[in-house]
Amino acid sequence: MKDSFNIKIGGSAGEGIKVSGLTLAKSLTRLGFRVFGYSEYPSLVRGGHNTYQLHVGVEQVYSQVKQIDILIALNQETILLHQDELTTSSLILYDPGDFKLPKGQLKGKYLGIEFIKIATQAGGTPIMANMVSLAATLALLDLPVTSLKEIIKNAFKRKSMEIVEINQKVVEAGGQFTKDNFSKYKLKIKVPKDVTTRMVLTGNEAASLGAIAGGLQFYVAYPMTPATSILHYLAAKAKDTGILVKHAEDEISVVNMAIGASFAGARSMVGTSGGGLCLMAEGVTLSGVSETPLVIVNSMRPGPGIGMPTWTAQSDLQFVLNIGHDEYPKIVLAPGDANEAFIQTKESLELAEKYQLPVFILLDKFISENDYAVDPFPAKHLNQRFSFIKKSYLSAHIYKRYQLTKSGVSPRSVPGQKNSTYCCNSYEHDEYGLTTEDPKTRKLMMNKRAKKLDEIQDEIPPQQTFGPQKAKLSLISWGSNKPVVLEALKNLPQVNFLHLNWLWPFPKKQVLDFIKNSKKVVCLECNSTAQLGQLIKKELGIDTQPLLKYDGRPFYPEEIINKLT
Amino acid sequence: MKKYNYQTSIAPTWCPGCGNFGVLASLKNALQQLNFKPYEVVIVTDVGCAGNMADFISTFTFHALHGRALPPAVGVKLANHKLPVIAVIGDGACYGEGLQHFINLMRGNHDITVLVHDNYLYSLTTGQYSPTTPKGTITKSTPEGSIEEPLNPLALALANNTTFAARGYALDISGLTSLIVKAVGHQGFSFVDILQPCVTFNKNQTVDNWYKDKIYPLPKTFKDKTKAFKEALRQDKLATGIFWQEKKPSYHTQVSVLEKRTAVSKKIDEVDISRLLEEFI
Repeated sequence: MKDSFNIKIGGSAGEGIKVSGLTLAKSLTRLGFRVFGYSEYPSLVRGGHNTYQLHVGVEQVYSQVKQIDILIALNQETILLHQDELTTSSLILYDPGDFKLPKGQLKGKYLGIEFIKIATQAGGTPIMANMVSLAATLALLDLPVTSLKEIIKNAFKRKSMEIVEINQKVVEAGGQFTKDNFSKYKLKIKVPKDVTTRMVLTGNEAASLGAIAGGLQFYVAYPMTPATSILHYLAAKAKDTGILVKHAEDEISVVNMAIGASFAGARSMVGTSGGGLCLMAEGVTLSGVSETPLVIVNSMRPGPGIGMPTWTAQSDLQFVLNIGHDEYPKIVLAPGDANEAFIQTKESLELAEKYQLPVFILLDKFISENDYAVDPFPAKHLNQRFSFIKKSYLSAHIYKRYQLTKSGVSPRSVPGQKNSTYCCNSYEHDEYGLTTEDPKTRKLMMNKRAKKLDEIQDEIPPQQTFGPQKAKLSLISWGSNKPVVLEALKNLPQVNFLHLNWLWPFPKKQVLDFIKNSKKVVCLECNSTAQLGQLIKKELGIDTQPLLKYDGRPFYPEEIINKLT
Repeated sequence: MKKYNYQTSIAPTWCPGCGNFGVLASLKNALQQLNFKPYEVVIVTDVGCAGNMADFISTFTFHALHGRALPPAVGVKLANHKLPVIAVIGDGACYGEGLQHFINLMRGNHDITVLVHDNYLYSLTTGQYSPTTPKGTITKSTPEGSIEEPLNPLALALANNTTFAARGYALDISGLTSLIVKAVGHQGFSFVDILQPCVTFNKNQTVDNWYKDKIYPLPKTFKDKTKAFKEALRQDKLATGIFWQEKKPSYHTQVSVLEKRTAVSKKIDEVDISRLLEEFI
């Protein structure tokens, strides 16, 4: 009896692999399983090798794993490329009517199921072959196809009920064929006792929902993988949510437009990846000096230059910490999974407004595009507004937009508001916003802006630790590695783990408290120069051992286990 | 009697005789005529001599980065389309550093007014050639004479679907005032290329050897775009006035989200996302 199992779908781009995987993920979630979906694809519209892998369990499964239990091979290449992930007991599903098995020694058991023929004989079209493969998979797990049929209904009912019915017939036929011919291959798996309602969504979808919950009013972006799906999602929901969504001509326009909207009082956010963020750098400093709130989602991918657009990396940390010329305060957050992406993106809009500065959400291809199964997010959200002055304030005070205050945060008016005009200034300015080059004022303004960071220290939530309090070895990581490390920890009982999702201002005390009790500290991250390690060294003067990966692929739990045992 | 005071505590820092004085005076006159209270207007200025106007006028102002006045102007407009938004920018910023914004935001017919101070030169940086500098001009950055053909702002705008294109002259305050009033009143992208002498650095395009003989007022606005285009291509004379104006819906009127309210007035104190969550289950 297996507690968990791993399914991989492979084929070429344009074959609907991601959709198939997500459909299966949702179907299994509805049956009460925990799932984690991970996809890989090249930067092409057609062709190239694409995969989707789904880790499924009765208990929590955190991340993808290497070893495959069921491989759905939509082309011959898939069988050859994934031999080292197969075992003698792996099941490989393929369509013998579509292609022949490759020659030579092959690992696993090969079940020829004519996906296309079954689909067309059931009244469907060849494109529905994927549905046959999903139904066959469920049959081999001895699971009903009911939830798959529900998901199909939800996905296609807007098109037509006829399409729903044909797809459902195809699913029935695929399930029946597999039962009739391959029932002896059935995998023995544990089945969940209860069914809990869960959502299946990507990190980008979670971040988008978090932004909506946090009162987003203005989203502007230029398409760039892996951040693009935020633009797609928010644009598709603009009518429902009332958010103004704009695709601008380039990232320079994006960041400046968002700052303009924010100056006008809107909660504004932009989304991009490293190359786009490079173009935004000057604009980010404008948010800093003019103290205009701005949220920047940066979904990292390998660079430099165009790099590897559809692969993953955590190589922009030091860039983001130091982005732009001169010095100004900023906040840098790095959610570890979909749940954190939701919570922290919501929070980022509040923080940006409260402290009038740029706030970064650091995602990467891995978290942006993985499918996470999470408890449904809360439906209702209350949002407070910060620093906006009211009429009564103006009658009692002389309004100075950049007033020197104890906290460094000044009162703020919005265009259209009576008797409160000011210059929102990219130049150094005095308390009224008027340009100045006076040395005293310059210093006061630099200090005023910097002071905000002290206040923000109190906002840092407890950073999560996992594993025993005292451990032989301690792991520190940040952002999207969280689920992979948690998966690895299942087999590393003597290792503890500090997950950082708040990177700047740096949670000094919390990291120090964690390190204090550790004999050996390993910093795990997806870049080649240990960027978090550098940050810890700079902030605490402590050396950590790097465990790095920078080939565009995420860590696998097996790799972490191997390195640490 | 002036109804509103647009004066700040700062006196303009421009050189005596600078064309910017004429533009500032015309802009203030226009705001008076349009009956705009200072707090009801947003002026986004670029960087350069023209951009320094941000400190000299008491509306809401936004002193942008160099070349980037237009994106925040559009950002303000899309966030609160009830506000009139005017961008003040120089030829270097508008036609050089930020040309992509000029071209692309013009295509969107965003309802903003763009006042370009065109003095054929980068002046705040002490005189280098700009995109409108005539070919062959010797400047500090082109000691052997500039090699590029100059950009023709009006012809470019006409070819690029602007719904309002005009040329003004900084020393003709009454004419420029009237142009600005009409430009701000225009629904959609209104563009005024304002010729102005730079008395300090530009010794070629001076009042005496350039503007005096070239400037003349357009008798009337063209109804035929090809005629407007032909006039824009003229080099012997520089007509002032409205070259082209047409009625087309501006950007924000075509965004369904903005049909009933502004983006900034979307209520966010209580947000319910329950309907959005359904598709993920």
